[in-house]
Amino acid sequence: MALNIIVCIKPVPDPQYYDKVSIDPQTKRITREGIPTIINPVDKNGIEAALQLKKTYGGKVTVITMAPPNAVENLREALAMGADEAVLLSDRAFGGADTLATSYTLAKGIEKIGEFDVIFCGVESADGATAQVASQLGEWLGIPHLWNVFSLENLEEKTMRVKTKIENGSMEWEVNLPCLFGVARQLNKPRFISAMGIIKAKSKPLATWGKNDLIVEDARLGLTGSPTKAGEIYTPDLRRKGELLSGPLDEIVDTVIEKLRTAGITIRTASTSCSAGEGGA
Amino acid sequence: MKNKIWVYAEQVESALDRVTLELLTKARDLAKALKGDTEIAAVLLGKNVKRLCETLADYGTDVIYVGESDALELYNPILYSRLITDLVKQEDPDILLFGATAIGSELGPTVAAQLKTGVAAHCVDIRINEKGLMVASVPSFGGKILGEILCPDNRPQMASVKPGIFLQGEKEPKEPAIHWLDTTELQPEKLSLKAIRIERKALAGVPLDKADVVFCGGYGIGTKENWDKLETLASRVGGAAASTRPVVDEGWAPGEEVMVGTSGKSIRPKAYVGFGISGATHHVCGMKDSGLVISVNKDDKAPVFEVSDFNIVADATKVLDLLMEKIQ
Amino acid sequence: MQFFQFTEEQEMLRKAVREFAEAEIAPKAAEWDEKDYCPMELFPVMGELGITGIFVPEEYGGSGMGYVERAICLEEIARYSAGLAIALMTHHLGMAPILDHGTEEQKAKYLPDLCAGTKLCGLATTEPGGGSDYTGQKSTAELADGQWVLNGRKCFITNYQADVCVLTAVSGQDEKGRNQISVYIIEKGTCGFNMGRHEHKIGLRGSMTGDLILNDVHIPQENIIGKAGAGNKIGMAAIGEVGRAGMTAICVGILRGCVEEGVKFANERILYGKPIAKLQSIQFDIAGIRTDYEAAKLLLYSAAGKKDAKLPVTTDFAIAKYFSSEAAVRSAKKTMELMGGYGVINEYPVGRFLRDALASIPSGGTSHIQKLIIAGSTLSDFKA
Repeated sequence: MALNIIVCIKPVPDPQYYDKVSIDPQTKRITREGIPTIINPVDKNGIEAALQLKKTYGGKVTVITMAPPNAVENLREALAMGADEAVLLSDRAFGGADTLATSYTLAKGIEKIGEFDVIFCGVESADGATAQVASQLGEWLGIPHLWNVFSLENLEEKTMRVKTKIENGSMEWEVNLPCLFGVARQLNKPRFISAMGIIKAKSKPLATWGKNDLIVEDARLGLTGSPTKAGEIYTPDLRRKGELLSGPLDEIVDTVIEKLRTAGITIRTASTSCSAGEGGA
Repeated sequence: MKNKIWVYAEQVESALDRVTLELLTKARDLAKALKGDTEIAAVLLGKNVKRLCETLADYGTDVIYVGESDALELYNPILYSRLITDLVKQEDPDILLFGATAIGSELGPTVAAQLKTGVAAHCVDIRINEKGLMVASVPSFGGKILGEILCPDNRPQMASVKPGIFLQGEKEPKEPAIHWLDTTELQPEKLSLKAIRIERKALAGVPLDKADVVFCGGYGIGTKENWDKLETLASRVGGAAASTRPVVDEGWAPGEEVMVGTSGKSIRPKAYVGFGISGATHHVCGMKDSGLVISVNKDDKAPVFEVSDFNIVADATKVLDLLMEKIQ
Repeated sequence: MQFFQFTEEQEMLRKAVREFAEAEIAPKAAEWDEKDYCPMELFPVMGELGITGIFVPEEYGGSGMGYVERAICLEEIARYSAGLAIALMTHHLGMAPILDHGTEEQKAKYLPDLCAGTKLCGLATTEPGGGSDYTGQKSTAELADGQWVLNGRKCFITNYQADVCVLTAVSGQDEKGRNQISVYIIEKGTCGFNMGRHEHKIGLRGSMTGDLILNDVHIPQENIIGKAGAGNKIGMAAIGEVGRAGMTAICVGILRGCVEEGVKFANERILYGKPIAKLQSIQFDIAGIRTDYEAAKLLLYSAAGKKDAKLPVTTDFAIAKYFSSEAAVRSAKKTMELMGGYGVINEYPVGRFLRDALASIPSGGTSHIQKLIIAGSTLSDFKA
């Protein structure tokens, strides 16, 4: 049974460099100079899941993103991984969107793509980490959706069994297609891009759609369509006094034990294990 | 017109998640900052959850909406969200808070999408501004940047908060009015999404979020043996062992449940001792409210030394071995 | 003349190989060097990524790319493990004569597995009697009863554990009594064909180097590549254009490692209250290392680009290999020195960079040989 699979991806600044991100004191905006943009790492788990499903059942994998024009590069990477087609939703009108407006726009893009069986999203993006687009996209499309999927069990007819992670355990579900999954890192190991994949990617279809290519309500797009509004931004000050403990390591460790005790932790050491007759409150 | 602050009272297998009580405590603070009277309500859904009303009452709820039914035994996003959305449309609360647990992280935005309102996700602080609006502080870039989020026009103003961010306060018992939701029409077996079963592991040892002392291992511990030493030391002092992500990825630590950081747990033990941790912001954000912070790293330039009270430039293995020798 | 720029696909390839190298090679490179362990398990993985058959046409299971792309792969891998890089480049080196001069049957029989990385290839020409003296080799091949019978010994052979060995031997004399050399394909396990001593090298560890012993090895007649006596051309072309190209790419990778490690250290090391990067003498060292890297890079990719355009490149690669290997030694030493005491501690990779660079000098032709080649063509090309 050939499946039409859609994967939503987001280009993000490479998380390796987040400690270098800062706020320009004059413009009060976030500076991310020189940090390369990559496909949001957990979205690759979504691409991998899609490619594995396609391998087993046949079908087509389409990758979609709502992003600025240079996201074309990241879409090509997804095509090189093995996706068949790519769609970029890009328009000034989409800018400033919060998760509700973003998921709305993605939903409209997906409606234009046409019929689908499964949609994969990553659980959260490395930069914003709101972890909401997957669930909200499912709502806009009116399909069953699950977040934090770490295991895809099997697919029979038009029903899939999956597991989601919860605190100290998991839940098992039966979902009817079409459906949407927000997938977690544990789901699979995304494949590396191969040379052959890069060559094939060149000729795979990549479309760019703006507002006028979609059937949308302007009021739901971008900043206008975003119920949440951003206020001040600042970098938290996490500094502490950082006193260096020096001297022989043995003594340093004794100091550590002492400081832990002062903080209220009960610690038994050789010198405190009393023999009968020794006092001790 | 009374202000209404609602808290989704998350329960799993008929036990209240601690985040519910933390949120109720916060709701009380927010109520004080709002002009006029405020009604604090909890929304509780599940099977055999009636008795949880007592605890909710102890923490200052004026109203409890209870959906009690066999059909609600296992969490289902479709069932739960519809009940909550319908209720919200009826009662029109100003503020609705969810715990950003695995379930809350899905349920919150789902409800928000149904209500076409905004939710500030994973916030680390909530306050009321001079206009009476809710302002949430939300981290991004792994916690390096904090941004304030408002939902000025749409209602309810929603936010999700991870367990352990807010403190669970003292009890403030009240006698809440209990409203039973109509659960007669619920048919989980007809849904396009069915929960089949839930599996929970019993945790061994002291839970990470309750431990007074946490020994945390980073990539610099280098081996599974060193992780085992951390666990042993933690159990000797009645504490817990925690780790950063690379330690879980390497397979030295058992799993994500011991991970501390923006994508893991937030902890605030009396004492935290870190071994081989570089001090990346996304980890530090998860332990910054610890009482005493001691860090061990052999790199004297490690950023972690700027966010610790006491610094030890040494090989983690050597320090662990000495601690193993001395602590019984 | 256009300035040098990679295509979008080449940049994507570089990024893809870099991600693979950072995930699967960088964390283990030091261990492989210490234990002299060759990670053969990565060959099928590289096969899936299209790296092991990068310049082989798709019809034989390759990626259908060229020598520029091969150089990109080798540079990215060598940046973290020059030892694995030389094992890979030697694998390519053995495949090249089969691809360029083999029959369709030979190509169809051997190339697919080699492209998939499920079998390892190697090239064996050097002998105890001389490597630089190519035509002075003494191993023999005699045609008898429809089979070639080989006898002799090869030494300093990287990938001597190869499943498919492309080997040269003297198959006869010409009218002037000079040795005629032919190229043969010998499969591992052929009776009489054995691995001899294993060499423990100071550098490029993580590749296996050793002796090959031929004791009345019988191989089918059709296992000769090209015609009898064509071995000079075939062997020398392989070494000159594929071997030298590979070594150059490896040295460029080492040089990039020197730049990156040097910059990292200079920015982090605080002396006299500020990073040593503020000191002029360190800045001069960094400038020298950077210039070496950029120059070697240009020589490498320019020659590789010419080869993909089917232009003659023997001298280009001689210049590139000579320059980049000497530069790698020079800059690795400079990087070690700017790191002070830390430079000689094994936890830092720069000591390995220097050892790998030193071991690169005699691989694919010594600097002496490169200079002879360069001088030869210069003296004839630049004559007034």
